Amino acid sequence: MPDDHDENGADAVDDGDGSTRSAFEGGEDTSQERIETATNVVLAVAALGLLGGAMVGLISPAYLVFLVSLAGMYALLSLGLNVQWGYAGLINFSVAAFFGIGAYVPVLLSATGSPITDSVPPVAGVFVAVIVTVVLALAIGIPTLSLREDYLAIASLGLAEVVRLVFRNQENWTGGTSGVGGIPLFFDGVPVLDTLPRDIGTVDVGFYTLGFQFWNSLLNAAIVGAFVLGSFLVLRRMHRSPWGRVLRTIRSDEELAEALGKNTYAFRMQAFVLGSVVAMLAGVYYAYSNYYLTPDIFDPIYTFYAWIAVILGGSGSNRGALLGGVVIVAIVEGTRAIGDVAFSLDLVVTQLDVAFTLGASFRLLAIGLLIILVMRFRPQGVLPPRDELIWPGARGGEADE
Amino acid sequence: MLASLVATWSGVVAGALAPGIAQGGLDYLPQLLNYLANGLVFSAIIVLGGIGLSLVYSIADFANFAHGDTMTIGAYAGLVTLGAVGTAGPTLFALPLGFYAALLAGIAVAAVVAVATHYLIYEPLDTDSIGLLITSIGVAFVYRALIQIQFGTGYTVYDVPTLRPIPWIEDLTGVTLTEHEVAIVLVASVLVAALHVVLQYTTLGRTMRATADNEALAKVSGIRTERVITSMWVIGAGLAGAGGVFLGLYNQLSPRMGFNLLLVVFAAVILGGIGSVYGAMLGGVVIGMVNRLTPVLTDFGIPIEPAYANAIAFVIMVLVLLVRPTGIAGEGVS
Repeated sequence: MPDDHDENGADAVDDGDGSTRSAFEGGEDTSQERIETATNVVLAVAALGLLGGAMVGLISPAYLVFLVSLAGMYALLSLGLNVQWGYAGLINFSVAAFFGIGAYVPVLLSATGSPITDSVPPVAGVFVAVIVTVVLALAIGIPTLSLREDYLAIASLGLAEVVRLVFRNQENWTGGTSGVGGIPLFFDGVPVLDTLPRDIGTVDVGFYTLGFQFWNSLLNAAIVGAFVLGSFLVLRRMHRSPWGRVLRTIRSDEELAEALGKNTYAFRMQAFVLGSVVAMLAGVYYAYSNYYLTPDIFDPIYTFYAWIAVILGGSGSNRGALLGGVVIVAIVEGTRAIGDVAFSLDLVVTQLDVAFTLGASFRLLAIGLLIILVMRFRPQGVLPPRDELIWPGARGGEADE
Repeated sequence: MLASLVATWSGVVAGALAPGIAQGGLDYLPQLLNYLANGLVFSAIIVLGGIGLSLVYSIADFANFAHGDTMTIGAYAGLVTLGAVGTAGPTLFALPLGFYAALLAGIAVAAVVAVATHYLIYEPLDTDSIGLLITSIGVAFVYRALIQIQFGTGYTVYDVPTLRPIPWIEDLTGVTLTEHEVAIVLVASVLVAALHVVLQYTTLGRTMRATADNEALAKVSGIRTERVITSMWVIGAGLAGAGGVFLGLYNQLSPRMGFNLLLVVFAAVILGGIGSVYGAMLGGVVIGMVNRLTPVLTDFGIPIEPAYANAIAFVIMVLVLLVRPTGIAGEGVS
């Protein structure tokens, strides 16, 4: 496919100021197919390695399920950010605020430790969380979305910090820094699913005995899987719709979009709200896979996890966002393992908390280096979007190749 | 114009406080003076951080999210130096000479690290200002991670004795101000005055202003903009390093200290007018004061706790961006 880079819409549209290249423009990229093959091979080897490890008793099935769920959670964060940055070019640094809202709102309505109430079933709480997310997205978006892009970055980070400070300090509503305990299962109050993990009982499989914990985390994985699949399909459809085309036009040339009579502010707002709702769903999984929730969930680091996932995967590419989610899990769990191994082998560290800190430091180092390396060597990401501006079928025979 | 804005501002402050003074009478005055004195010290630190952030914005043309962690680097370089030099010998403002060596080391190390980062990371990038902004987040994480790996995540302090407030100031006005805090304000003032002289009266300053104004034009006029950019990093990061050492002296040191302060510094710089050095100074004083005056709200029964001091700064920042994105000092002052 010698013409591959010509089909990359970002190139075709944004030829104006050839001297600089922004993160979502593709470069001369004839080796894209090889990179995609390599990515698939690496992912397949990693998956087989994990499965193989589980088969021979090295990795517990519960941990495997946990890893997959975690990848789904980060994929949701990056899918949401991808709508905002990848589609619409919004530099949104407030992802963590919506991640936190998705966790806190249903929990504050359903947990026994909640200062508000524990009477609302979590499933219903998610709908309340959607409403709160839309309201908060409007509250953050209305003042900031008309700002110049770098101001938007600073202002959205600032407002996300305001949200974090409110959740830390309003103890009468949120339990403050000590957090909220007594979080029920996600399907609490729903017939059958409520008691399903308990009803299955224990099953012996080879090295392992699969009990309540395993079935429950499998159910949580199914929840996050459903969120990811649903978001992915909806977002793919929207990306290819006229709405998605307008957003891509805004991203590459806002004045052109305005000249065509599009209300760019409204489109950006819609992208901001939609992306925030998707990121919020990640918070729902986070809350119900833990017993306890603290304001640490508002840490800006989650915003930057989502950013590195999107940039690495390829801005504007939903496949890339999924890949980014997997890479973040590899970094988060891999660096945790560094600390654990150092501790168990008695290397350098002899205390568990020091080992934990060491893992966290290496995680930060890995994330930082990854951001720098991607921006230096592959600013368009590993899996940049294909078929940017046109529906695949519109090119006739070529799409079938 | 600046003078009139300052006058307006002090008018606003006086107007807001007048009913309070009427309520609490003169009893409240020492308390208020205390907040103001505290605000002055905090302002000095914000100003030192803000100047560099503004310089990078005007000359290298991006919002540098690694600037807060540059302050952290200065603080920890000071910690290591103080440990090596020791605290023996004569003192100045109750600080051993070793501390001043630590201050110089903090300035030097922060400057060297920033220049190295510029040549190793920012310079080879083929990207726009947004790409640089995102890269600077990666740089910030690398700085902080390396400090955490070396020093751990906990808090630590400089090995200088904690002081009681200067007695005669306390007796006279009720303001509790330590000699350390006086030293912070004085040294910061000297540094800022020196920067003013450099910017206004030296060739370097003129070439810096020219480069900030129009880099291409500066280049064809024969200015070596590469050197100017290097000097800019040295000055901006050096002042940030000093700010970091003072922040460590004023509070304590932790690997997150700079990142936590970064948004407050951004608020100050945006309020003053991003890209303007004098705007950054003015914005730093206002934001530093507002930050430390937050307890006044609870004193007068407004239920906004001091824990929201930073939140107030961020809201001011967003309001400034909405109403007057060029900030107080506007354009072209740098």
